[in-house]
Amino acid sequence: MSQAWLPLATLATSLLVVPAIFALPERAWRARAVLNLSAALVKLALVALMVVGFYLGHSFEFGFTVVDGVRFLLKVDALGLTFAGLSSLLWLATTIYAIGYLEDSPNRKRFFGFFSLCIASTVGISLAGNLFTFLLFYELLTLSTYPLVVHRGHPRALAAGSLYLRYTLTGGLVLLLGVVALHALVGDIAFGDREVLADLGPDYHPLLFGLFLVMLLGLGVKAALVPLHGWLPRAMVAPAPVSALLHAVAVVKAGAFGIVRLVYDVYGIDLSFELGLLTVLTVVATITILYGSIRALAQEELKPRLAFSTVSQVSYIVLGISLFGPFGTIAGLVHLMHQGLMKVTLFYCAGNYAEELGIHRIDELDGAGRRMPLTSLAFTVGALGMIGLPPVAGFVSKWYLGLGAVQAGMPWVIAVLVTSSLLNAAYFLPILHRLWFRPGPEHGRGEWPEERHLGRLETSGWLLWPTAATALFSLLAGLLAGMPFSPLDLAAIMATGEYLR
Amino acid sequence: MILALLWPLLVSLRNPLRMLMEHGALGRPGHRPELLDRVWASAPLPALALALWPGETALLMEGWLLGGQWHLDEARRPWLLFTSLLWIAAGVYARGYLIAEQQAAEAGDVDAFRRLLGLALLWPLTLTGNLLLILAEDIPSFYLGFTVMTFAAYGLVVHAGHHDAHLGGRAYLAMALFGEALILGGLLWSAGTADARTLSGLREGIAEAEQGMWMATLLWLGFGVKAGVAGLHVWLPLAHPVAPTPASAVLSGVMIKAGLIGWLSTLPLGVPHAGLEPLGRVVLGMGLAGALGATLLGIVQRHPKAVLAYSSVSQMGMITTLVGIGLLEPALWPALSVAVVLFAAHHGMTKGALFLGVGISEHPPRLPTWLLWSLLSLPALSLTGALASGLAAKWSMKSVLYDGGHGLLVTWLSLAAVGTTLLMARALWRQWCERGHHTIPWRAPMPLSWLFVVLGAAGVPLWLPLAGMGATWPPLAELPGLLWPTLVGLVLACLAVAGAATVRGKWRVKRRLLPGDLWWLYAALSRRGLAMLAKGSRNMESRASRLRARLVEKEERVVARLGDVTRYERGFRRLAVPLMIGVAVLLLVGFWLE
Repeated sequence: MSQAWLPLATLATSLLVVPAIFALPERAWRARAVLNLSAALVKLALVALMVVGFYLGHSFEFGFTVVDGVRFLLKVDALGLTFAGLSSLLWLATTIYAIGYLEDSPNRKRFFGFFSLCIASTVGISLAGNLFTFLLFYELLTLSTYPLVVHRGHPRALAAGSLYLRYTLTGGLVLLLGVVALHALVGDIAFGDREVLADLGPDYHPLLFGLFLVMLLGLGVKAALVPLHGWLPRAMVAPAPVSALLHAVAVVKAGAFGIVRLVYDVYGIDLSFELGLLTVLTVVATITILYGSIRALAQEELKPRLAFSTVSQVSYIVLGISLFGPFGTIAGLVHLMHQGLMKVTLFYCAGNYAEELGIHRIDELDGAGRRMPLTSLAFTVGALGMIGLPPVAGFVSKWYLGLGAVQAGMPWVIAVLVTSSLLNAAYFLPILHRLWFRPGPEHGRGEWPEERHLGRLETSGWLLWPTAATALFSLLAGLLAGMPFSPLDLAAIMATGEYLR
Repeated sequence: MILALLWPLLVSLRNPLRMLMEHGALGRPGHRPELLDRVWASAPLPALALALWPGETALLMEGWLLGGQWHLDEARRPWLLFTSLLWIAAGVYARGYLIAEQQAAEAGDVDAFRRLLGLALLWPLTLTGNLLLILAEDIPSFYLGFTVMTFAAYGLVVHAGHHDAHLGGRAYLAMALFGEALILGGLLWSAGTADARTLSGLREGIAEAEQGMWMATLLWLGFGVKAGVAGLHVWLPLAHPVAPTPASAVLSGVMIKAGLIGWLSTLPLGVPHAGLEPLGRVVLGMGLAGALGATLLGIVQRHPKAVLAYSSVSQMGMITTLVGIGLLEPALWPALSVAVVLFAAHHGMTKGALFLGVGISEHPPRLPTWLLWSLLSLPALSLTGALASGLAAKWSMKSVLYDGGHGLLVTWLSLAAVGTTLLMARALWRQWCERGHHTIPWRAPMPLSWLFVVLGAAGVPLWLPLAGMGATWPPLAELPGLLWPTLVGLVLACLAVAGAATVRGKWRVKRRLLPGDLWWLYAALSRRGLAMLAKGSRNMESRASRLRARLVEKEERVVARLGDVTRYERGFRRLAVPLMIGVAVLLLVGFWLE
């Protein structure tokens, strides 16, 4: 049984909100909030419906031919569904957060309009059924994120925005080149048709290898693979909810998701292994992981440090994919979700500190744990997860990465993991130490840069609850990893059910 | 079993939750509850009950981490028993020890309240980790317990908040992280190779694996940080003295044993043909080096707790030697393992009693001086192997080693025991020098729990059979062989006192070696390394931004050149009409020619 309307409706919920938001007047923030939240909830419900249907064995597909040989295709598979689920969950959280964060700031209409467009593109990316559709939404994402990055409108934001466009548009162009070349070679490939390229025969292998590299270059810009990561730390000037989304599900993850699609659904893991592409990925990921961690060490502001940590963490996903074998695959897929949860938490926290206390630099955080215990607790959970300590979700990812490395016959990767953990500890633990163990303004030493009392609790509830919720999710995803429907369980189903038959 | 682990966790979370519910936020001023109350001290009770509960229990939890398996079998029971005993006693002791702080907090001292809140939170959390690592059979749970214990204990080390505490905390954390990294590497490598989920599977896997030697080395070193192996011990003398006394007692008494538990759980001890003999030789050598070297370094310390910490390094060195023998001669292991457990229980309780005793000598209870000081020196004598549990532990160790034909090793260990005697004399001497004069009633929680531990420590061989662990007393004929190290040590100590008295007047001796010995070297090296990393990172930053600037510049030049193109536009416009006419004419000519 095929139900075409569900994926279309899911996409439409966030897409249709966009004109509605633009139609509302700027000051109608209540109506806008209701609209945003209800759309987020509806979308979450739709995704849940699809999950249930998918488990019951239904297939969801919607497609039409654009021009002969080029199809627009929305299709639901486990991977896409997971990504859509993650993005709609985090969208809900981030919408709540953004409503609280942007209270009384100008241009909220523009912000929420493009915010919804950005999410619509992410959903499009996750449900895309072939490279053409993927590319369409991939580019839409690039363009809809730009206004969010430059939202503040000051020169630094504009400079970061133009750098962002330079990188991502060039990347998109390169990706387009690769996709067109592949299309010219074999025509339209729906995701999952792994035989098409595998049947081409060894004569084509050098060509396929080259095309993969071209597309990797294109996707690598968004996935922030070294040396294509330059835009990411600069894009930190964006407001906190945007950075959170950018780092957790939207832009960076779209790149990583693209690489997952490319390896598993276009080339197929066997062909990728045969072509030696996995080794290329392993090396690139290793370099990125270490480079990102080392650079994060030297950052003195909170958000840039988190940004470089993202550079490093997203490559865990790539690393997992590149390790040939079920454990590596599980690790890559599960980290796709875990990293999203943990990073979004960390960025919410950074936003909370900035909003409530005006803190931007790490050395201003002394004693903040006393002033904002829940936020700091959430930050602690996220940071411990990033280091990979149990029982937070990051541990599960790291564990499977390590097992995958051994399984793929590359035990040296464990050394990379351990080094990266140490580096992560070296730049996260000092922050935790400042939060909890150093006396600060709350103990009568100095004062906060710009303290505001946003709510009855330590800060506004709009900011606090999403933070606490994602932190709790990150904790539970690790603690109860063996439960059904945990990220690990989903990743295991995907890995054994779809990619490694 | 769940209750045993859940209860400390609940106790730990109770205060923050209570405050959250009462005030809507943490840290707001308001009623300040008594933080270290009876419920707080009761955290280890369910674990004790579990240890005494007859029969084996196992718990399977599919949903927990990567599949949880907790066991309580005969091998784990003694550990659980003495661990929970010492934790209970230390908890009761802490209520007395920190009473001044507690009163200050209730009177409104914000700093004291904050410190106590940290302790109230982290003490049961550390306990939870410690219990979990004993009970866990699946690898992730074990690692979880180890990690929780390690990181939560940081809060105990830095409790006092002064400069030395932070130095100790830094040393503790840096070394612990180093250890965690090695452990993680070793666990991942071996578990991945053996495809093991449980610790027993892991041990078999290492024994069979081709690279088993290296996996075992990683694990040995990683857990060695906690167990205070020579060279990795540097955090012990820095961290143990600065922690509050009850925390030092559990740190040095039971948490240090977590490293040993780690070895026993992951190394294929007693498995024939495991091929770990080279590692065994290294372990043996390092154990002896620790056992003897630590006495030399400890003897020059001034702080009694630093002396005791070095003594812990020395004692753990002896146990390390036994583990080394176990790796070298798997056939001896079944007998050796009994000796190891007995030794561990003896040292855990005795060292706990000694540490608690330091607090007692600072705040002496109203007891006759002779009684107080003989009670204080009872665990010291026991540790040297002359009395009580020490005698039984030393005997079981020596008898196994003699049976295995390791007479020479016994001599070395006896030398280490001479060193222990000297250390104990030194510690007691420093305690005497720093003794307090403000007495407290002897029926307060502090002296009572201390008495309990002193007696419990002396009687380890009497109550350990409760956990299914037999212990034998040495026959009378063997006594001289066991007692001579203590006697020699005592004589040497007397000589040293006399010697020091004569030397002191004549020339100033450099009497103090900084505690932590090699730490200063490590710290300098790692500071250098981190500075280099940061510098490298900055270099990369500037290089990357220069490259970016150059690319942007190039782009601008291209755009400018595109601007140049527009200059030709005017020319094109002028050319347009002639061009069109020309083309038309050409076409016409073409047609005409056609």
